[in-house]
Amino acid sequence: MINVEKLYYSYTKDNIFAVKDLSFQVKEGEVFGFLGPSGAGKSTTQGILTGLLPMQQGKADVAGFDMKKPPREMFNRIGVSFEQSNVYEKLTARENLDFYKKLFDVPTLDSLELLKLAGLDHVADKKAGTFSKGMKHRLTFIRSMINNPEVWFLDEPTTGLDPAIASQIKDIIKDRHKEGRTIFLTTHNMFIADELCDRVGFIIDGVLKLIDSPRNLKLQYGEKFVDVEYRLDESTKKETLSIVKEEDRHRLNEIINTREIELMHTKEATLEEIFIKVTGRGLV
Amino acid sequence: MFSKIMRVAGIDIKIGFRETTILYILIFPLILAFILKALTASNDIISLNAVIDPSVPSQMEEYLEQYGKVERVDSREDMDERVTKTDDYLGVFWNGESYTIVQQGNEEDLGEVLEFVINSMETRNLDIPAEVRISDVGWTLSPMKQYGGSLLVIFMSVMGGMVIVLNLIEEKTSNTLAAMNVSPVTRKEYVMGKSFIGFVVPIFHVIATLLILDYGDIDILKVIVVTLSIAVISVLIGFLIGVTNDDMMGGIASMKAVFMPVLASVFGAIFLSAKWQFLLYWSPFYWAFKSMDAIILKQATWGGIIVNTGIILGLTGIVFLLLNKRIREGLN
Repeated sequence: MINVEKLYYSYTKDNIFAVKDLSFQVKEGEVFGFLGPSGAGKSTTQGILTGLLPMQQGKADVAGFDMKKPPREMFNRIGVSFEQSNVYEKLTARENLDFYKKLFDVPTLDSLELLKLAGLDHVADKKAGTFSKGMKHRLTFIRSMINNPEVWFLDEPTTGLDPAIASQIKDIIKDRHKEGRTIFLTTHNMFIADELCDRVGFIIDGVLKLIDSPRNLKLQYGEKFVDVEYRLDESTKKETLSIVKEEDRHRLNEIINTREIELMHTKEATLEEIFIKVTGRGLV
Repeated sequence: MFSKIMRVAGIDIKIGFRETTILYILIFPLILAFILKALTASNDIISLNAVIDPSVPSQMEEYLEQYGKVERVDSREDMDERVTKTDDYLGVFWNGESYTIVQQGNEEDLGEVLEFVINSMETRNLDIPAEVRISDVGWTLSPMKQYGGSLLVIFMSVMGGMVIVLNLIEEKTSNTLAAMNVSPVTRKEYVMGKSFIGFVVPIFHVIATLLILDYGDIDILKVIVVTLSIAVISVLIGFLIGVTNDDMMGGIASMKAVFMPVLASVFGAIFLSAKWQFLLYWSPFYWAFKSMDAIILKQATWGGIIVNTGIILGLTGIVFLLLNKRIREGLN
């Protein structure tokens, strides 16, 4: 659904590239996470793939449309949610959606249904200028769904939102994923990526360092240890044991059989830890 | 295509009515027109208007009509009532031996002029008749009404560009421009939709102003052609300022700077002698002012209007070629 080949982009139109030699594919129905710290080149890539930035070098196509000169019809088939909310503040939430839906040449979703989906139906007829940051963000988010896009670009969809609203947004993304939509998720939030994405790509300094599924990355880079806490002589003891070494596996078995276990969990690496391991950089 | 253009235009109109700055821009020129109207109201006294009762013979009525409007009423009471109204009408009645002139008292020298006119009629058969002539110095309108109206029309043509500036800056600061850029609306549709208000507002302002100032039966079609031609460059300037400014105050300040060539062109056209007028040929506002002045004086011909409009559009074309790239970049 998205094919990128040897993509380069320079804002200064010289050899200082914001993204360089970027190649990847996103399959139909896949949720692809594009992960990296601020300034890594995530938004530049998304800008090129949504036609907001012109193609300079390389090849890219989205939903079968060549991004060298994307036709406007392409926007009937894609949706773009921005990191910063961008709504007409003098218009009500419903007017914002009603206006935007009339710009499309394909069947669109009902404005009120979308507002209900995002929990904004009770303020449908209030001006967006009176909304909180979270409400504006949700309005921007549902507006990007209005044409029921085949390819959905989401830029930091949960950043700055309280956990309840973030969870609501994640549920909507999961539902769309189940419906078979292709989703390109740009974020620096590894927990969101871990939860939602089929595959993730790590980008840093404009270079794509690695692409794989979160599970494979954890298997490859995670430490295969178990933390176990158990009772011994009126006190709590803690041990970290390898699940690979024979000696540690016997010890773990012994503890389970003879002691009162209080806590036990695998020391699974987080995507953030893997990112740091792979790129040598944090996500801030 | 047309429906999308109208949707983009429609959203600007809707937001415009909810935005106090834009409402102010829409109303302010009309207030100026009313102020100009108040300042030029006394121009009506240049004609010698009379109200007569049944005692005045029709011969005298026809004679007086050469000098101004004449109203015939049914009685002396009606005549007195008409004279007391706010405009300057003098009453005339015949008592069988002589004419009497009735006036409010604040008409200054009009009574004496009317007396001369009546006497000239009454003495026309004498060997040496008294002859009254009224001549003028070529002013059919007061300078304030003539030039003020034209200046106001040119000024209002720029107002449409100002509304575009505010709408574009709002789109940029709220980042709704980016949302528009990922919709199926083409750049051409967007620009045409945004420009719509830049043509509608001046047409509304100009027609309303001409009605307020009451220039009589001037050719509205010619006025619309001139207004639209000057609105093109205002829209172009509006887009340039809109895309190059990121805040309202900066945009308004830049737009105010545009008023400088407008005022310079108009005042130059009024005060510069004919041999120096060529210094203003570069300005589309100069040509628009010349056209409007001729229209208001009812001296404009379609040939002249077409030539001036062609010059305005030619100059606008040059400006467009210079600014096109910058505007396109700014809309990305």
